[in-house]
Amino acid sequence: MRGVTRPAADEPLPAAGLGRHAVGGLVRALVLPVARGLPWRPLAAGGTLGLLIAAGTRLHSDGVQPWLALLHLRAAALAFGLGLAFLLDDPARHTTATVPVRRLLRAGLRVALVAPVAVAWWGAAVLLVPAEGRPPLGDVTLEVAATAVLALAAAAAAVRLWEEPEPGQATAAVVLVTGVAAPLLMPGRWTLFVRLGVDRWDEAHRAWAWVLAGAVLVWVACTVEPVRRPLGGWSRSSPRP
Amino acid sequence: MSSTVSSPRTKALPTSTPAGESPRRRLRAVLALARVEARELLLQIPVFVVLCVYVAYVGWELWTGGGEDGAYPVLQDVDRATQPESLFLGVAVLVCVNRAVLRSRRRGTDGHFDVLVMEPWRRTVAHLLSVVPFALATALVVAAQFTGAALKPGAVGTGSFSELAVAPLAVLLLGVLGVLIARLVPSAFGAPLFVVGGYIAVVLLLSSSEDTPWLRWLTPFVDEFQADPLPSDLLGRPAAWHALYLVGLIVLVSCAAVLCGGRRTLPAALGLARAARNPVAWPAVGPARLVKAVALGAAVLTLAGAVGQSRGDSPALLAARKQASVAPEKDHTCVPHGRSTYCAFPEWTGRTEDWAAVVRRVQSLAGGAAGGTKLTVRQRVDARYGLSASATLEPSSTHGQVTVGTRWGGNRVPEFSVGVASVLVAGNEEAAAAMCDGRVVTVMWLALATTSDPMASLRDVRIDDSVSGSAIVLAPTHPLEMTAAQTTVVRELLQRPRYGVTAKVKAHWTELTSPKTSTARAAELLDVPVPKGSEKEDKCEE
Repeated sequence: MRGVTRPAADEPLPAAGLGRHAVGGLVRALVLPVARGLPWRPLAAGGTLGLLIAAGTRLHSDGVQPWLALLHLRAAALAFGLGLAFLLDDPARHTTATVPVRRLLRAGLRVALVAPVAVAWWGAAVLLVPAEGRPPLGDVTLEVAATAVLALAAAAAAVRLWEEPEPGQATAAVVLVTGVAAPLLMPGRWTLFVRLGVDRWDEAHRAWAWVLAGAVLVWVACTVEPVRRPLGGWSRSSPRP
Repeated sequence: MSSTVSSPRTKALPTSTPAGESPRRRLRAVLALARVEARELLLQIPVFVVLCVYVAYVGWELWTGGGEDGAYPVLQDVDRATQPESLFLGVAVLVCVNRAVLRSRRRGTDGHFDVLVMEPWRRTVAHLLSVVPFALATALVVAAQFTGAALKPGAVGTGSFSELAVAPLAVLLLGVLGVLIARLVPSAFGAPLFVVGGYIAVVLLLSSSEDTPWLRWLTPFVDEFQADPLPSDLLGRPAAWHALYLVGLIVLVSCAAVLCGGRRTLPAALGLARAARNPVAWPAVGPARLVKAVALGAAVLTLAGAVGQSRGDSPALLAARKQASVAPEKDHTCVPHGRSTYCAFPEWTGRTEDWAAVVRRVQSLAGGAAGGTKLTVRQRVDARYGLSASATLEPSSTHGQVTVGTRWGGNRVPEFSVGVASVLVAGNEEAAAAMCDGRVVTVMWLALATTSDPMASLRDVRIDDSVSGSAIVLAPTHPLEMTAAQTTVVRELLQRPRYGVTAKVKAHWTELTSPKTSTARAAELLDVPVPKGSEKEDKCEE
């Protein structure tokens, strides 16, 4: 049945066959439909909550301390990351699987469309924190970028491992539980969630850079289509009529 | 994950039975659905992983004995320590039960449910019940954690059932909140964002509520950083009221979820939209009234709990705390062991034997009259500033009185030996705290020579974990100061065979315990090379 109802999808035309010119045209043709199909609502919800959390730093009665602002910004990043976990949701996944455009291009286009929004969001979040309470911006930006890309990598992994058209909620659940549990369950000698002003701050941010690089690699690896569909096993929730 | 319409697992649902069946069969149907949902919930990755990690973490702590003073748990603190770890399970259950309630919407099978005999509100009840097994699992884990601590030979104190109940109740509360959120905001990203927002709200609440304890007690767990354990009657935590508050809140949230069960969106639930199109979706009039009555009762219960838990410390409690801090002898039970007397708060009397062993060990090395001095070991706490304040104890000026704290095990043992040795040498704690001459060598050797690994103990009691150079040495009351020269002499002595040094210490006891003896002289008496520069360092700083 499988082969009939769902033709061997994910076997696109080799993009190598298309010239650079053709790819450019393809992107131009895809921008609008992809932008319209993006799950803007979860992104808006996550972003709004993130901004509210960042603005919450102004609610502390006796001025905000940088360590508290760091906590707020990390939570805001998690909120935005939860929105990003929905980015690769595509209700039409089982019909678009047959189009001759690679998933890497389609997913990359989604990320490219969201990237300016994310940058603007982060700028706004930082501006919402009172200037005297801002933690070192470069390092915190690295943490936030790593969180965002981790959420994207989780979304890509969900798309790769499940047949589910909209795995966003499950992905968000995993990202959330990881985000809540990791700072508390991680062994003390792993430096990732350090407090402000600790001498391991630089070491921790080298670790964050590695996390970011790893997340990018995972995202790319999971976004490239598999040569064959996984048989059984992971694809527990096949689509229903 | 499968939809409940087509899955063969849900055959237990009475989908084809006539409508006028007995309430018992309906209840059975709800329970069957709850069982299926609980199983589905367990198989969700976040819940499964977090549950495994939680059980493994607690098991590991039980297996390894749990840290430095894990062998000597204080049960009125252990009960509270079971709470924070269950938060992760609660969050995972919240997110996943939310997802389970929204499954039919995601799969587009909402419409199919309308033709079933089971009404949506019963479905909500089943979802609410599906959280219960996870609360029970948490209760089991908490029971294992507490029993493991209580069975240790060094355990003292008494646990509180209300504190132990908080972890399972919190998991249940977060679970039913997940159902309520799904009923109010039927969208996939409601629950995760609620968790992040709730977390920040709690942080804001905690950071701004230092003067308003009632705000702090509205959160599920009230974790207090506590420096030293206190006797259980000085804790003053309204644990029973808090448990009542949580129970009331759980019932209230559950009733709200059932009442919103039929209305699909927030505007409808708030009465902004027109009444539901679908009469089946609402609880029938009888049950709806019952649920509303229960909700009212739960609201009263919650309010009672909230009021009860926010009354703050009573004057009687403050007086008791003050008395225990200033005049502990009124609360103490004294037990004689050998020549010395050991006075402790009643809950700690079982530990006097451990203290006596240390005193015997240290005293066996002392010479002169100190070898037979009658000591009074007195347990002291400072509870005047509440649970979370840490205050150092003032050294006592009573002759022959040694202070001991409420913790034991790990570093506390060599610290107590230092306290005993310094009282044997200087007479009382106040004089010992001012010591800055050759007597420090005697004190440190007395305290550490009979420990199983003297060099490791020396490292442990010094605040910077070093065995060379000058450092602060921890003791139950004021710390001692060791100069670099004293450290060198003590290190040298601890590395030599004990019996040889013991003979010399006993032979020169009077001179070694005199304030006039310099470190260099003490080194000479004990046959240790005199370190350079010891004269300069020996001067007491004023």
